[in-house]
Amino acid sequence: MNWGATLPLLVLASSLLPGLVIFFLPEERVATRTTLNLAGAVLKLVLVGVMIWGVFHGSHYETRLPLLPGLDLLLRADSLSMLFVVLSSILWLVTTVYAVGYLEGSPNRSRFFGFFSLCVTATVGVALAGNLVTFLLFYELLTLATYPLIVHRGTDEARRAGRTYLIYTVAGGTLLLLGTVWLYTLTGTLDFTARGFLSGLDEAHHAALIIIFVLLIAGLGVKAALIPLHGWLPQAMVAPAPVSALLHAVAVVKAGAFGIVRVVYDVYGVQFSASLGVTLPLAIVAAATIIYGSMRALFQDDLKRRLAFSTVSQVAYIVLGIAIAGPVAAVGGLVHLVHQGVMKITLFFCAGNLAETLGIHKVSEMNGVGRRMPWTMVAFTVAVFGMMGAPPLAGFISKWHLGLGALDVGQGWVIFILAGSSLLNAAYFLPILYAAWFKPPPDSWPAERSFGRRETAWALLAPPLVTAFLTLALGLLASAPFGLLQWARFITQLEYAP
Amino acid sequence: MNTVLSALPLILAPLLPLLLAFPALRSRLPRPCYIALLPALILLIVPPPVSIDLPWLLLGTGLGIDDRAGRLLLAMSVLVWVAAAGLLHSANDKPADERLTSCFLLTLAGHLGAILATDLVGFFTFSVLMGYGFYALLVTGGDEGIRRAARVYLVCLILADLALFEALLIAAATAKDLGFETVRQAMAQSASPGLYLSMVLAGFALKAGVWPLHFWLLPAFRSSRPAVALLLGAVPVAIALLGLVRWLPLGEVRLPALGLIIQGLGVAAMLYAILAGIKRTPLTRLPACAAIFVTGLFTTTLGAGLGDPAAWSRYGNLAYFLILLLGLGVAALVAAGRWLQAGSHSPAIPRKPVDASVAWFERWPGAVTRWATQLGADTLPRLRAAWLAKVSGCRRQIRAWQRTLDSGERFLRRWAHAITLFLLLGIVIVFVGALSWVW
Repeated sequence: MNWGATLPLLVLASSLLPGLVIFFLPEERVATRTTLNLAGAVLKLVLVGVMIWGVFHGSHYETRLPLLPGLDLLLRADSLSMLFVVLSSILWLVTTVYAVGYLEGSPNRSRFFGFFSLCVTATVGVALAGNLVTFLLFYELLTLATYPLIVHRGTDEARRAGRTYLIYTVAGGTLLLLGTVWLYTLTGTLDFTARGFLSGLDEAHHAALIIIFVLLIAGLGVKAALIPLHGWLPQAMVAPAPVSALLHAVAVVKAGAFGIVRVVYDVYGVQFSASLGVTLPLAIVAAATIIYGSMRALFQDDLKRRLAFSTVSQVAYIVLGIAIAGPVAAVGGLVHLVHQGVMKITLFFCAGNLAETLGIHKVSEMNGVGRRMPWTMVAFTVAVFGMMGAPPLAGFISKWHLGLGALDVGQGWVIFILAGSSLLNAAYFLPILYAAWFKPPPDSWPAERSFGRRETAWALLAPPLVTAFLTLALGLLASAPFGLLQWARFITQLEYAP
Repeated sequence: MNTVLSALPLILAPLLPLLLAFPALRSRLPRPCYIALLPALILLIVPPPVSIDLPWLLLGTGLGIDDRAGRLLLAMSVLVWVAAAGLLHSANDKPADERLTSCFLLTLAGHLGAILATDLVGFFTFSVLMGYGFYALLVTGGDEGIRRAARVYLVCLILADLALFEALLIAAATAKDLGFETVRQAMAQSASPGLYLSMVLAGFALKAGVWPLHFWLLPAFRSSRPAVALLLGAVPVAIALLGLVRWLPLGEVRLPALGLIIQGLGVAAMLYAILAGIKRTPLTRLPACAAIFVTGLFTTTLGAGLGDPAAWSRYGNLAYFLILLLGLGVAALVAAGRWLQAGSHSPAIPRKPVDASVAWFERWPGAVTRWATQLGADTLPRLRAAWLAKVSGCRRQIRAWQRTLDSGERFLRRWAHAITLFLLLGIVIVFVGALSWVW
C-alpha cells in the first residue's frame, strides 16, 4: 500500500484510534485523555495539511478496499471533500479544547470523548467517501456515534431528544439506503464522478431517477434539517454545548448538506439535475426552510433553541446555492458550508460560556451580560453580524455570491428571500445584543461561578475568540490568493467549465 | 517609498480608531479619541492624489482621496470629530464610560472609511460599521426617549442596508467592477436602472432621515449627550448624502419625471423644516430642523441633477457644499443651542488636583484644557448675556407671531393649516418652475 492509499486511512485513524483508547481509560486519567484528544486533533490537522498540499499539486489519494462483490469501500481526496475535511479538522481541534474545559469535573468523560472522536471520524469518512455506499456507511456511523452524545446528560428530556433523533435519522438513513440500492440496480456503479454518472442513462429511466432523487434528498434532508424533516434539531438542544457545536457546525447537519452537494454534483450532475427539473423544487424547499427557520427562531426564549432554528435557516443557504444551478451561487453555497460552521460554532461556544459561568439559558436572562462577560459577548456579536450578512464578515461573502449567482441565472426571487432572511436574522439576533450590551445587569445571575479576575475559564474563552477571529478573517481575506473563495471557485469550475 | 508613506495614513485613518476601539489597546494612551484622528489629519497635508488598491481585501476594494471635495469632507469630519471628542467626557456627561469611547471610535472608523472608500463595497462596508456604531453611541446611557429614537434609527438602518445590498448586487451584475465611476457609467447604459435607482434612493434616504423618512432624526436630536447631537449632521446624515452622490449615475442619465418628484420632495422638506423650526421653540430642536432643511435643499439639487445631466455637471459641486454645510452648520447649531441653554450662572468648575505621578510633559494637554475651560467659564457667560440681550427682541417677535398662530378659535388654526398647505403647494410649483427655467 503506497502513501497515496495510506494517507486517507491515517486521517481517519488519527481520531478513531484515540477514540477507541479513550473508551477504556478510567475517569481519573484526565491528563492522558486530554493529551490523546489533543494529539489526535493536531495530528489530523497536520495530515490534512499534507493532503491539501498534495491535492493542489496533482497527487491522488485514494484507498479502495473490497466490501461486497462489485462494491468497494472507497476513500478519495478531491477538492470538494477537502473543503469539508479541513472544516471538520480545524473545528474539531477547537471544539476539543472547549469540551475539555466545559466538562471539567463532570462524570462519564471517557465515554463522552470516545464518542466525540468517533463522531469526527465518521464526519471525515463522509467527507472522503468516494462512492455512495461508503458515504452511506459513514453517514450511519455518524448517527450511531452522535446518539450517546445527545443523551449524555441522562435526563428524561435528553433521552426523549435522543429517541426523536434516532427515529428521524434512522428513517432518513432508510430512505437513503433505498435510493442507493435502486440507483445501483439501474446503473451498476455508485462511484462519485465529476458532473455525475447518470446523464447517459436511457430516457425511460428518468421518472425513476426523479423518485430516487427525492428519496436521496429526503434521506439527507433529515440531517440537513430541511423542513419538514427538521423536528429533531431543536429538541437535541438538551445536549451539552460542545455537542451542540458539533451537531450544528462540524458534523451532523453539515454531513446532510454535504451529502446533498455530492448527490447534485457527483451523482446526478448539476446540468442533468436541472434538465430533470428537480433543482427548482429543491431551491423552493431551501427558500421555505430559510424563512421558516428564521420565523421560528424569532419566538424562542431559550438561547440554544433560538440558535437551533437559526441553523435550520442557515444550512438551507448551502442547499439553495447548489439548487440555483449556477456557478456563482454554487460558490456561495460552498463557502457557506465553511462560513456557517465557523459562525455557528462561535454562537454555541458563547451560549455554553453563558450557561457554565452565569447559569444563563434564556434570552430574557441576558440583560447586561456584556458588562460581566465582555470578551464572550464580543465574539457573540461578531458571529451575529456575520449571520446577518453584514460586511466585512464571512456571512456577507456567502450572501453576496448567493444573490449575485441568482441574478446571474435569472432567478431574481432569491434576492428577496435573502433580504427577508437578513431582516428576520436582525429581528431575532439584535434584541439579544441590545439586552446584553445596553440593558442594566441584574443584581445577581442565575448560577454564577467565579473564575477570579477572568470572566470565565481560558479553555472556554479562547475557542469562541478564535472562531470569531476566523469569522472576520474569512470575510476580510475572502479575495486573498489561496483563500476559501478561490477554492470554491475551483470546485465549481470542475462542475461548470465547458 | 513615497507611495507607501502616503498610503500609510490612508490605511491608518480607519484602522487606528478601529484598533483603539478595543479598551485593552488604548488603556495606556492619553486621549485616544484625539490620537485616533491623527492619520486623518496627516492625510489632509499629504499632496494629492493618494490612493491604494487592496484587491485581496473583502471582494477587492480600495481607499483613496483625490479630489478637493473629498479633502474638504475629510477636513470637516476631522473638525467635527475633534469637537465631539472634546465634548464626549465633558461635565454634562456621565462619568467616562469605556463602552461609549469604544462606540465613538467604531463610528469614527466607519465614517472616515466611508469618505475614503473608492468603490461601492468599501463604502457600504464602512457605512454599515458607522451605522451600527452610531446606534450604539446613541443608545449608550440614553433615556427612554433616546432609546425609542435609537430603535427607530435601527429599523431604518436595517431596511436601508437591505436596500443597498440589493442595489450592490444589481450593480455587480451590471458593471465589470464596483468603482464609483464604472458603476455610474454602467448604470447609465443599463436598459433598466429603475430597481437600482429606487434601492439606492430609498436606502440612503432612510439613512439620512430625508423628509418624509425623518422619523428618527427629530427625537435623536433630543439626545442629552452633546457629543452625539454634534455628530448627527456630520456623520449618519452627511455620509448618506455622500452615498447618494457617489452611487447614483448623476450627470450620466436623464430622468425628468423622477427628478421632478425628488425636487418636489426636497422643496416640501424645506418647507416642513421652516414650519417645524418656527413651531418648535426649544433651541435644541433647531439643529434638527436645519438638518431637514439642508437635506431638502440637497434633495432638490439631486432631483435637478437626475432630471438634467447638464445641470449636474454645472451645479453638482453644490451637493458637496451642502454636505459640508450640513456637517458644520448642524454641529455649530448644536453647540450654540447648548451654550445658550446653559444659562448665565454656570457653576464654577472645580480644579482637579495635579497628579504628581504623571510626568510634566504628559500633563500639558490637561493643563491647557483646564486653562481654556477656566477662561471660557470666566468670559463666555458675559459674552452670552450680551448676545442674548441683542437677540432677545428678535426672539420676542418670533414668540409673538407664534402665539398669534397658536391662539384663537379652532377654525383659525384650521385656517392657518390651510394657508400653510396652500403656500407649500404654491412654493413647490414656483420653485420647480424656476429651477427648470434656470437649468
